[in-house]
Amino acid sequence: MIAMAALQGFDSLMSGDTVVAQNIAFGILAVVMIVAALRMVTTGNVVHAALYLVIVLAGVAGIFILLGAEFVGVTQVLVYIGAIVVLFLFGIMLTRGALGEDEEADTEKRRMAVLVGVLVLVVTGGAVLDSFGDAAVNRAAPSLTAEIGDTIFSQYIVPFEAVSVLLLAALIGAIVVARKD
Amino acid sequence: MFAQAETVATPEVLWWALVPLLVLAGAAVLLLTVASLVRRLPEWLPAAWTIVAGLAVLVSVVPLWNEVQDDGARSFLAGAVGIDGSTLFVTALLAVAVVATALLSRAYLTREDLPGVELYVLLLLSAAGGVVMASANDLIVLFLGLELLSIAVYVMAALHLRRIQSQEAALKYFVLGAFASAFLLYGIALVYGATGATGLARIAGYLSTTILLEDGMLMAGFGLLLVGLGFKVAAVPFHAWAPDVYQGAPTPVVAWMAAGVKAAGFAALLRVFVLTFGSWSGEWQPAVWGLAILTVLGGSVVAVVQTDVKRMLAYSSIAHAGFLLVGVQAASDRGTAAVLTYLGVYTLLACGSFAVVTVVGGAGDDRHGIDAYRGLGARRPWLAGAFAVLLLGQAGVPFTAGFVAKFGVIAAATEGHSYALAGIAMVSAAVAAFVYLRILVALYMEDRHLEDDDEAGAVEVDPAPWGPRIVITVSVALVLVLGVVPGPLVDLAKDAVPVLVGG
Repeated sequence: MIAMAALQGFDSLMSGDTVVAQNIAFGILAVVMIVAALRMVTTGNVVHAALYLVIVLAGVAGIFILLGAEFVGVTQVLVYIGAIVVLFLFGIMLTRGALGEDEEADTEKRRMAVLVGVLVLVVTGGAVLDSFGDAAVNRAAPSLTAEIGDTIFSQYIVPFEAVSVLLLAALIGAIVVARKD
Repeated sequence: MFAQAETVATPEVLWWALVPLLVLAGAAVLLLTVASLVRRLPEWLPAAWTIVAGLAVLVSVVPLWNEVQDDGARSFLAGAVGIDGSTLFVTALLAVAVVATALLSRAYLTREDLPGVELYVLLLLSAAGGVVMASANDLIVLFLGLELLSIAVYVMAALHLRRIQSQEAALKYFVLGAFASAFLLYGIALVYGATGATGLARIAGYLSTTILLEDGMLMAGFGLLLVGLGFKVAAVPFHAWAPDVYQGAPTPVVAWMAAGVKAAGFAALLRVFVLTFGSWSGEWQPAVWGLAILTVLGGSVVAVVQTDVKRMLAYSSIAHAGFLLVGVQAASDRGTAAVLTYLGVYTLLACGSFAVVTVVGGAGDDRHGIDAYRGLGARRPWLAGAFAVLLLGQAGVPFTAGFVAKFGVIAAATEGHSYALAGIAMVSAAVAAFVYLRILVALYMEDRHLEDDDEAGAVEVDPAPWGPRIVITVSVALVLVLGVVPGPLVDLAKDAVPVLVGG
């Protein structure tokens, strides 16, 4: 999917009817992401793999920002890099003795991983092409963080507060369960 | 720099309608803050605080109820939150369950020598989640409420720090609960995909005005929502967690799980299926029909072979969920009113029964075998008598409130021409009656064992502290009174049929 997106980006860069700087930035991001994604699945060290994943996810955040979706871009950094990858790293560190090369990951699991990867590529790529196809991104109306903030704190105030109380409950729960006395 | 800040047009918030929610959440946060600032909190304070909060919610529901009955249901915040009769009815049930659980917890925590503020904070937060669910007019809000309710209960199940079963129960509940939440969320996503909305009123409007050529996605959404909610109310085949969790969790927490979580879960089922998907009831009724049959039969039959009273009550709570599903399956106003009546009665029965189990369980909370109940009728006549009334109520014997509840759902099923379902429900009620009779026999007719092996298994039950005593007395009294004069509860439930109002 990423490769196809990169090719399309390359096409529109050649045709010259779009903003050149953004296309160059997109090209650089796409190349970096592809390289990092390939390194992520080929490296034998799980911690390195997690760190390569950070680069891929940061690239996604960069693309969001290029498209004018600043809020989604920042959320991508906060949630995926800040929370999920850190969770991965904690999981790896708490469950493994050695952090070095891992030979186990090399054998037949790889075949399943390739299969799943290809399936996900086909399904998501097909869905994206099917529903958006040639649709152009509306650059004139980027989504503004301020608008999202206004909506959250007016229209969605009760769900928003419910989320905060939910997090409070989870926090108390974590402390209660982890406490030793 | 602030001079240029624009004012945002804020939508109208019906603050008066949010009072129960604000009281519960505010009480929880305040209690937590005070408990972390004051070093030695009087031991009775958290429980008393929680009880006051629960009673305040009960009191606040009364004017809201009058307002809703006079002016009709409302929704606000762009249709995300609504208030109608069923919201307030379920809120009142949750408040009753909070008060009962707090009364039981105080005695329990003292006996087990456990630190206690967290239990009350989590109880209040969990109740707030239940109120959010009962007032949700949007699937996302419903999901948030469910998570708030569940996460607090997962932790409450683990609160007995020295019992390994308590930790095990919490872990099982958490893993399976997270799984069920994922199902529910996927169902919400698919329904959104099929209808283009998460607001209940907009979904209902879309479904009643649009003919879908391909309804596969919507059907999958219905199915996944039913699985997710079916897990929360412990419907067979999504019930596997319930016996283990009920057996392992602290008994007052089990009372809350049985009364509070079930009430909130069925409030959600009514709102989503009967109300929102009402125009498509032909599509989901067969699934609920199957679930209801499996649940009434499974719960009643498996309860027969249990030897642990807590597990028995767990299976009987599964069977009760089946009866409630019979009412949901009717997909009519009458069915909804019957479900709400049943929930009201079951809240009393569950709180009372688990109060007795809390008392008999004794220090260590592990005397739950049926042996512990043998001959209780001779040694503790009042306690045994109260338990007998509650068990007869659960069995649905006439002149107890349980009969009114069961009659309501079965009448609703026959009115909806689900004769087979009504018949099977009655048969399994008879099977379940056998379970309750087994406990009754142990209570009254097997006392001679005790004199033989006094040191082997004879159990001296400590006198009940005043907390459980109040819960048992009040629930027994109400079960008897409502069994003879069911009118008030039934009328309230009739007025509490939910209404969807678009935002």
